[in-house]
Amino acid sequence: MDLLPSSEQDEIISSAAQFLLGTLPVTRTRELIGDASNVDAKAWTLAAELGWFALGLPEEVGGVGCGLTDEALVFREIGRALASGPFLSTTLAARVAAFAGDADLAASVAGGQQVALGLLGVGATIDPGSGTVDGDLHLVDAAEADLVLVPGADMTSLVALADLEEVVSVECIDPTTRLSRGTASRVRPVVSVTSEVDPVSRRGGVLAAASLTGIAEATRDISAAHAASRVQFDRPIGVNQAVKHACADMAVRAELAWAQTLFAAVTTDEHREDAEFHALGAKVVGADAAERNAAATVQVLGGMGFTFEHDANLYLKRAYVLGYAFGDTRDALSRLIRLPAAL
Amino acid sequence: MDLAFSTEDDEFRDEVRTWLAENTPSERRPRAGQGVRDYDLAWQRLQHDAGWAGISWPVEFGGRGLPLTQQLIWFEEYARTGMRGIDSRFVGLSHAGPTLIARATDEQRSFHLPKILRGDVIWCQGFSEPEAGSDLASLRTRAVVDGDELVVTGQKIWTSFADLADYQELLVRTNTEVSKHKGITWVVCDMRSPGIDIRPIKTMEGGTDFCEVFYDEVRIPLANVVGGIDNGWSVAMSTLSFERGTGFIVDQVQLSSTVERLIDVAREKGLLGDEEIARALSHARADVASLRALTYVGISRNLHAPEPGPEGSIVKLHWADLSKRIARLAVDVVGPRSLALGDDDDGDWAVRYLSSFANSIGGGTSEIQRNIIGERVLGLPR
Repeated sequence: MDLLPSSEQDEIISSAAQFLLGTLPVTRTRELIGDASNVDAKAWTLAAELGWFALGLPEEVGGVGCGLTDEALVFREIGRALASGPFLSTTLAARVAAFAGDADLAASVAGGQQVALGLLGVGATIDPGSGTVDGDLHLVDAAEADLVLVPGADMTSLVALADLEEVVSVECIDPTTRLSRGTASRVRPVVSVTSEVDPVSRRGGVLAAASLTGIAEATRDISAAHAASRVQFDRPIGVNQAVKHACADMAVRAELAWAQTLFAAVTTDEHREDAEFHALGAKVVGADAAERNAAATVQVLGGMGFTFEHDANLYLKRAYVLGYAFGDTRDALSRLIRLPAAL
Repeated sequence: MDLAFSTEDDEFRDEVRTWLAENTPSERRPRAGQGVRDYDLAWQRLQHDAGWAGISWPVEFGGRGLPLTQQLIWFEEYARTGMRGIDSRFVGLSHAGPTLIARATDEQRSFHLPKILRGDVIWCQGFSEPEAGSDLASLRTRAVVDGDELVVTGQKIWTSFADLADYQELLVRTNTEVSKHKGITWVVCDMRSPGIDIRPIKTMEGGTDFCEVFYDEVRIPLANVVGGIDNGWSVAMSTLSFERGTGFIVDQVQLSSTVERLIDVAREKGLLGDEEIARALSHARADVASLRALTYVGISRNLHAPEPGPEGSIVKLHWADLSKRIARLAVDVVGPRSLALGDDDDGDWAVRYLSSFANSIGGGTSEIQRNIIGERVLGLPR
């Protein structure tokens, strides 16, 4: 039993952090805000070359062969760096294609073919047998995508964007995310896999939790740095317990989110029976930590925190969007209570 | 990273589980008085004789020298029995014991440690005073060196089990000329010494474990000083880091069992269809899972660096908040039957609810834990 990163994992963390800082810093993400696409072409290609979209895929289907735990380390850095683009849906789409036996599609997606995330709207369904998608979809980061990943608890499908009707782009609450809507009228999937073949939705939830943890950590650090340096009444505001304790609570939430994300990733990698339990827990705790830490950061930064210029609001908005990815808190809680107890 | 336990660990777990199933006392623990001492010490003796005392303590001090992972396994299995995590043995096993191992002389260790493990003695803590609570370093209980003895006069408060204890880890002021953190000494006090007066304090859930202790020229041999005269603050800090680091593992793990039991109770009462209760219980499941995950991360850190760091305050703070929230949720689930502060199962939840208020006060208040996290984890100014 060891939940500290190995030296190889430390290497994954630092190389991911360096790559994002050098190639896709927040300043670059901000530059993309007015553009039709939120994807930086150069960074995206490099990420594909680094193997990010195939990191957790088994080697026999063309992947790098790392665990979900290793992928979580990368997605934590993506969240922390506020990198924009369909990293999460593309990574999981490569899995769907690979486990559905479509090696060409898997290779193409792993090589950087963008795939959007489709959230089921009210009343929309994904058939657990055929993977047929029916109803309204919210499409996340579909600007340059031809395919949409539609995850469900029992079945995950890839559908063609061209098969959807009335696709319109709408302004997203998060300006670094692209949002559109469309309707699926009994759309048959290009490929699909059941959660028994591969728990795609669970893995997506864990990786979303990892990015949410990155947000919780980044905002904790922004708040602590501000509290230590901002002087009012002749002293740094962090001497006041009202501020200091708000920062301490952020540290608690970030640590909990990361610990549970790791626990979920490792139980999945080890095929434990309670992996689903821990993944749902990670999503709940991660979403809570990210949104509350970002919200508290807006408060700690005062007027500055309320401006668009400061990054606090971007973290809050990204946390809000990620909260809906692979099951929101309401959905996760309603499933978690029905599961058997953790081991 | 992995959560896999070795074959030896798995065998160890089987052995622990079997032994606990066969030996856990079936009679209810008395709520107060001498019966508590007899019950707790008999239980410790039984564990000791079967080889379960001091699992991760070094072999030379009577322990088994096993890795902390096996100590964790013991705590996890122990928590499943429903026995309370903290009883009158707590200060000896989780406070004084580890502190003596880290800081005492060989003579002090060989005298005290076997007694703690065998269940011969109960220890209590003499840290807080009426004027020194969160500001512990301002303590005033005075000790003057007279020959080869310290002469102690003053008062301690919030001392659990003082009336049942044989020994006390006692902080006294030995020097008033230096800054407040520097003139403190950590000393072992024999609770049967002349000049000690113990008065119980009734607590809000009806317990009488709490005491105040008065010292009127109590003579303690200088040989009982641990870590040197005037050097007690650093010894006390190491005591508290053990408490915040590993002392609460049983309670942390037990919270998972509590939530699962509560879900069973809610199911039996047909309350899982109530959306508000179901959601709160489900959230509690996620929260205790993350507490346990954090405990595992802490133990992983400990395997690499044995002295617990300020991260322990994160665990302690979250445990305090969460255990209080769950205790409140429990009385919601039980409903009006929790109005009866009784000995049946429903009434037990009411006692737990009232007891839970201690969780964010004892062992350093949650406000102090937040200060520690702010200053020592995040580097904020004092």
